[in-house]
Amino acid sequence: MKSRKAVTVLVEIVKYVVLIAGALFTLLPFVWMVLSSLKSGGEIIMIPPTLFPKKVLFSNYVEAWTAAPFPRYFLNTVLVAGITTVGVLLTSILSAFAFARLDFPGKKIVFSLFMATLMIPGEMLLITNFVTITKLGWMDTYQAMIVPWLANVFYTYLLTQFFSSVPDALYLAAKVDKCSDLKFLFKIMVPMNKNAITTVAILSFIGSWNSFLWPLLVTNSKEMRVLSYGLVRFQSEAGAQYQLIMAASCILVLPIVVVYLILRKYILEGMAYTGVKG
Amino acid sequence: MKTKRLVAMGIAAVMGLNLLTACGNGSTSSSSGSGEGVTITFWHAMSNAQEQSLTELTDKFNAENGQGITVELVNQGAYKDLESKLTANAAADTLPDMAQAYNNYVTDYVDKIVPLDDFVKNDFDNWEDIVEGYRIENSEYGFISGLPFNKSTYPFFYNKTMFDELGLEPPKTWEDLETCGAVILEKKGIPMLGYDSMCDMLEIFLRQNGAQYVDETGALFNTPEGLEAVEFILGLYEKGYARLIGEDSYFSNLMSAEQIAGYVGSCAGVTYIVTDNEGHEFELGVAPIAQGKYNAAYNAGTNLMMFTKDEAKQKAVWEYMKFLTSAESQVKWSIDTGYVPVRTSAYESDTYQEFMNGDTPGAITARAAYGQAPYGYVPSNYFKGANEIRNKVSDTLTMCISEGRTAQETVDALVQAIDEVVK
Repeated sequence: MKSRKAVTVLVEIVKYVVLIAGALFTLLPFVWMVLSSLKSGGEIIMIPPTLFPKKVLFSNYVEAWTAAPFPRYFLNTVLVAGITTVGVLLTSILSAFAFARLDFPGKKIVFSLFMATLMIPGEMLLITNFVTITKLGWMDTYQAMIVPWLANVFYTYLLTQFFSSVPDALYLAAKVDKCSDLKFLFKIMVPMNKNAITTVAILSFIGSWNSFLWPLLVTNSKEMRVLSYGLVRFQSEAGAQYQLIMAASCILVLPIVVVYLILRKYILEGMAYTGVKG
Repeated sequence: MKTKRLVAMGIAAVMGLNLLTACGNGSTSSSSGSGEGVTITFWHAMSNAQEQSLTELTDKFNAENGQGITVELVNQGAYKDLESKLTANAAADTLPDMAQAYNNYVTDYVDKIVPLDDFVKNDFDNWEDIVEGYRIENSEYGFISGLPFNKSTYPFFYNKTMFDELGLEPPKTWEDLETCGAVILEKKGIPMLGYDSMCDMLEIFLRQNGAQYVDETGALFNTPEGLEAVEFILGLYEKGYARLIGEDSYFSNLMSAEQIAGYVGSCAGVTYIVTDNEGHEFELGVAPIAQGKYNAAYNAGTNLMMFTKDEAKQKAVWEYMKFLTSAESQVKWSIDTGYVPVRTSAYESDTYQEFMNGDTPGAITARAAYGQAPYGYVPSNYFKGANEIRNKVSDTLTMCISEGRTAQETVDALVQAIDEVVK
């Protein structure tokens, strides 16, 4: 009895050691970024490197923040990432529902066509998308940064898989109760798959938040730039001001951390499906 | 209920967006709507001190040109971002009125460059005053494709305190590179030399040994001279006199931490060398690079190219180009940024001479740059694939050095990498 308890404790200890090591490993780059953002330009390139700044310089944040119109970039990025995410969720949920639950002629062909587009590398679409945007006269607008990303085949595919695993019985039962498709989708399907949907939302938000090349391509005026553009301001062909890059990165990453903390419980919640009685 | 709220939020968001866009439009239209004046856009990749100086110059031009010309500066990120941006806009036929560009950016849309021959012939103060290498570079396409603007060279930055302590002079010849390297490695245990750009290093050594590098037909250095140069390069690394740099890093960092005694890199990098770190205080020296059988020093930097098809705008762009490349502007620009003047008269001006005689890091760099100016060459990169070749050569050479390959193996690997791009 006692020895079994000892073994359990030992297993727990090992488990936690591994977990803590993993956590440290994952956290280190982040901690490094925060600590580096407080160092002087000289200290940051010291070899061997110092972990803690000898002199804590909060002025880096001021300098980084004032080097470019970051408040405006911030607003733009929040808008673009936010609207893109909402749009992606809407299109992915609706189309995933159609593919997973509805029967319509040519469903398999349409789905295969969707899948086929996944094979085309994004870089190849860059120029054609760009030409389309300029023909539409959308240069330097929010819609240029948002509209091309409102549908995402991979997320549609992902949600289709999740939606397909919801038992038919639920759908049929709802139908018996005269529930419309749309009502079934938003009252039953979506709540049941909220973990998967949250994951899509987070991935989409992060992707949009970090994107660099596309926003750069379709904007020209200072008023329309996004945060990632602000970061390249501290680099040149011959050197970089790492401390400012790090400070700006901290600013850039903060909202993502907040979003994650808010949505955390949805991600961590297990895949708790409600069962079907009988 | 919920749906209603969502819809309301959506409408609110759209309204908010319109408001923001309206603000954005408002500010741009006000600047361009000033009667008969012309507004031109200039895309550049200058940041920090360079952007500041460019802005000052442009403000001056906008205020004083007397022809109602307004130049709108648009920073497009770093060089590679500017390049992507230009490529995409060339495809959409929406290039800016003018931009900074290397010749190798535009190989796919040379026809969209406005030839400047007539402008230069009719309305330019002395084309011969422009440094010869830059004139050649800007004529590679068979017409005058641009005006040189921000030009740099790669001098030798070194730890003067360390060199003095060991009784060493900065290396002047290939033999000096070996002897200096040996002394520093023995006494200090660190390498003497690094090169920020591997492909440019290769070209420097090839030229200094009388070999050619590359043209549109492929690699040209599979010759005894080429082999000898590559062998010398490999030797420097093998013996530990030179070292490679990892990705995303600069030798200016290693220099500041006294992990290396010197390096060859862009003269614009001098501001990134820190000489007063605790425990690593030293005096910075800058000298012309060591020379071989022949003299050669690498010049880099972009040119100003004109793209607008509108005649009035072309005139405006030309006025601005003339202004930026004038001796007066070049002197200010060079002193502010560390770039080298593109005009002989700018070099020889009193202001610039006075600046060069100072003892600031910028001044000693300028002296070294001036010292190697007569050997300066601008690499030919007007043919398709020139940019890809740069990357491939750097990667291949780095790989061969770290794998300790022989000179012939290295030459073969390089030739193969280049030919793959060309063919």
